[in-house]
Amino acid sequence: MSAAAMALQVEAVRRSRKQRWRRSLGFYGLIAALALVSAYTVLVVDTDWARLGSLGAVLKSVGRFLAIDWSLIPHLVEPVLETFMMACIGTLVGAILCIPVIWMGALNITPSRWIAYPLGRFLMTFSRSIHEIVWALIFVSAVGLGSLAGILALAMRSIGFIAKITAEAIENVDPKPIEAIRAVGGNGLQVLRYGIMPQVLPVVLGTIIFEWDINIRRSAIMGLVGAGGLGLTFHRQMVMFNYPGVTTVILSILLLIVVGEVASHYVRKAVT
Amino acid sequence: MAILDVTDLSVRFGGTGANGREVLRGVSFSVDAEDFCAIIGPSGAGKSTLIRCVNRLVEPRAGRIVLHGEDVTAMSTRRLRQTRRHIGMIFQEFNLVNRMSVMDNVLSGRLGYVGTLRSVFKLFPSADIARALEVLDRVGLSDHVDKRADQLSGGQRQRVGIARALMQDPKLLLVDEPTSSLDPKISREVMGLIREIAREFDVPVLCNIHDVQLATEFATKIIGLQDGLKIFDGPVAALDRKTLDEIYSMEVL
Repeated sequence: MSAAAMALQVEAVRRSRKQRWRRSLGFYGLIAALALVSAYTVLVVDTDWARLGSLGAVLKSVGRFLAIDWSLIPHLVEPVLETFMMACIGTLVGAILCIPVIWMGALNITPSRWIAYPLGRFLMTFSRSIHEIVWALIFVSAVGLGSLAGILALAMRSIGFIAKITAEAIENVDPKPIEAIRAVGGNGLQVLRYGIMPQVLPVVLGTIIFEWDINIRRSAIMGLVGAGGLGLTFHRQMVMFNYPGVTTVILSILLLIVVGEVASHYVRKAVT
Repeated sequence: MAILDVTDLSVRFGGTGANGREVLRGVSFSVDAEDFCAIIGPSGAGKSTLIRCVNRLVEPRAGRIVLHGEDVTAMSTRRLRQTRRHIGMIFQEFNLVNRMSVMDNVLSGRLGYVGTLRSVFKLFPSADIARALEVLDRVGLSDHVDKRADQLSGGQRQRVGIARALMQDPKLLLVDEPTSSLDPKISREVMGLIREIAREFDVPVLCNIHDVQLATEFATKIIGLQDGLKIFDGPVAALDRKTLDEIYSMEVL
């Protein structure tokens, strides 16, 4: 390549870099502008600065939470257990309800590409796009107050994530073992059991455990709308202005979540 | 007597449109009961496709494949599954279920024989388990029965693949590049094992292999493929330098 041609190429590389740089500058500028506008409309305009009072007053309000209501603790045992169990059963029910959704929504096993597949995909998105509190409200009005509504809400909310991850794992399996199972004369179910399931099982179990972990958090707030668990206790302390009580409930939620975290760590290790 | 008779087999990938590609063009050959038949040819000649047509893992576009007097290409799905269970297949990359034990992998060779419900719960009859132990002993893996398939070396995995094929009581062994993932020494051992087993169980073998030396050493009959056409078919002794050059001429280009 001649020196002149080389110089030309170098120039071309330089120019494209400069363009890219300009483009990314524009992109970040846009984000900054968006953030500024949002901050102005939401914070500056919407906040009642007069009511906020002085910095001291704010700190004093926060300070009311810095205590523990020991008398509440005996009353927390039952809701804590209930919260925990809601998370367990909710995840389990969700994992079972997933199965048909996965079957429909994984491209390589779906019974029909034009009807079942889009339906399966839609159900996955549908389940996730509705907040767990909204699911809880729906089920409280359907089956009444209590933990059943919470369990159903968690189950419905869990379907989307477990099904999506599993369906994607199934779409990405190594086709070689499947070929072998077909070659020995295996039928569809045997291909699923021997060719696909062993490959996706670790992913599926890991996802279910992850979802269970999250469901412990979710079930702690189900009570805010009357769907059982610690949320109801929390709500009661709040409306009674018992700030140390609120702190106590929050700490018990924290404890529960730590227990869940530790448990899921070990369970995950055991299954993978 | 011919066990397998293939007539005018054609395969086209990618539909009949302009993007389609003729992978096999009117290939005919037969395999006799005592044959160890090696298919040689450069990469892309259609060797794997040819072998996969015999158990219809690949659907041919035209031609007849007659196995034990029955046309495979005309079979219903059900009949095809029944036929497949008698066709052992050994793969280039072993195609084992890595997360299952050696035992379960070998037992999966019986899937065509056990009921669906039983197989879903891995409830294989004791006779099958006894047979699996025997077969594993035969291929020299008695010490690895409970290991997971992915804990084995390449040569050992291929032996699991061979054991799985033996579990099928095969009447024909299809072997697809059994040595491409193995080193030269292990390759020779594996080819030797396949040959011994073929004799022991009286099974004809149809084997893809691009390594000409291994082919001439272990096979009794050679089929030369080039760009989807059969350009040689005969006993090993008849394969001369000139024919080989012809078969592999594509690769030089």
